[in-house]
Amino acid sequence: MSMLRGFLILVLFFLLGEALRVVFLIPVSGGVLGMILMTFTLMLRGRVSDALASASQALISVLVLLIMPGVVGVFFMASQFSGQWLAVSAALLLGTFLSVLTTLLLMKSVVRLSARSEGND
Amino acid sequence: MTELIERFIAIPDILSTSPMFAIGLTLSAFFAGNWLFARFGRPLWMPPVVLSAVMLAVVIAVLSVDYVRYQEGAFWITVLLGPATVALGIPLYQQIHHIRAMWLPIVVTLPLAATLAAVYAVVIAWALGATPEVLASLAPKSVTAPIAIGITNQLGGSVPLLMGGLLITGVVATLFVDLLAKWLPVEDERILGFALGLNGHAIGTARAFEISIPLAPLPLWAWGLRVCLPRLYCLWCFVCRSLPGPPGQAVIQFTNSRKL
Repeated sequence: MSMLRGFLILVLFFLLGEALRVVFLIPVSGGVLGMILMTFTLMLRGRVSDALASASQALISVLVLLIMPGVVGVFFMASQFSGQWLAVSAALLLGTFLSVLTTLLLMKSVVRLSARSEGND
Repeated sequence: MTELIERFIAIPDILSTSPMFAIGLTLSAFFAGNWLFARFGRPLWMPPVVLSAVMLAVVIAVLSVDYVRYQEGAFWITVLLGPATVALGIPLYQQIHHIRAMWLPIVVTLPLAATLAAVYAVVIAWALGATPEVLASLAPKSVTAPIAIGITNQLGGSVPLLMGGLLITGVVATLFVDLLAKWLPVEDERILGFALGLNGHAIGTARAFEISIPLAPLPLWAWGLRVCLPRLYCLWCFVCRSLPGPPGQAVIQFTNSRKL
């Protein structure tokens, strides 16, 4: 029962997010808007109810299951890449490698810099 | 006798008309993938989601289940992604002290890294002679799917290609984050979680929760907020202008009347 109540809260926030998206033509999914609303609501309330915690934990623990039907799609869309395999796969592989490298290095150096300036203060 | 065999062969085709078939198939592949992952000794380079997806694809191909019909049935699983995304707000709230401590690195890194991700992909594809349509599909791959589809349409790219790109990016980003974390090395779990969420989208976020690393949903949250803020600001200005009295007071009156 308690988990279902938490699930209801999640669904209501999702619907609220969807409603905002449709009314204000925001190009972000209702789920993301619901997530933003959820964090702000929790910040105002200052605590998470047990029902909400158990429902969110249950859903997050099966996140991989939820995205699987989408991932399988990759194997059934080979024709979309026709003739451009090399360019597309190089762009995705090398491009992602470089962007992960950039993110990690940037983040690492900025964290170090801000830690040092705090130390000087 | 031959009729019996024919009916036997037709089983997958008949059963696949019910969504329960797609659900059963996806669940079995999920558990089989997790079992294999444990069996292989939890290799970093092969996340369970890839194992499960490969097995699922093979089973769909072998049973010659109509792929479109599978996706129709699997809708009952994917529809839960909506509330699951909302649920990501709860761990994010619980890690709010991390966000407070890291707000400067996050604000600096997010726009820069997201822009560079697109630049890398487009420049590499362009150098290898990709068509403008392919370039337009790759360009928005660094932002989350719903935003990316809008950009691709504006640039005249292909949406299925973009979606495929996002998924492949997600899988390889998970691998590269694991690898580079060891090579560089980066030990701060907050940085790894942030990189997984930023580069790996849904797959990266799922992976981060598997290995219990914080902050993965943060890039999604920050992107969403970034896109919303101009709209909310416009709304604020509109409300201020259309109501009499000092702007601040007018808005308070407006929200109060809405509550009542």
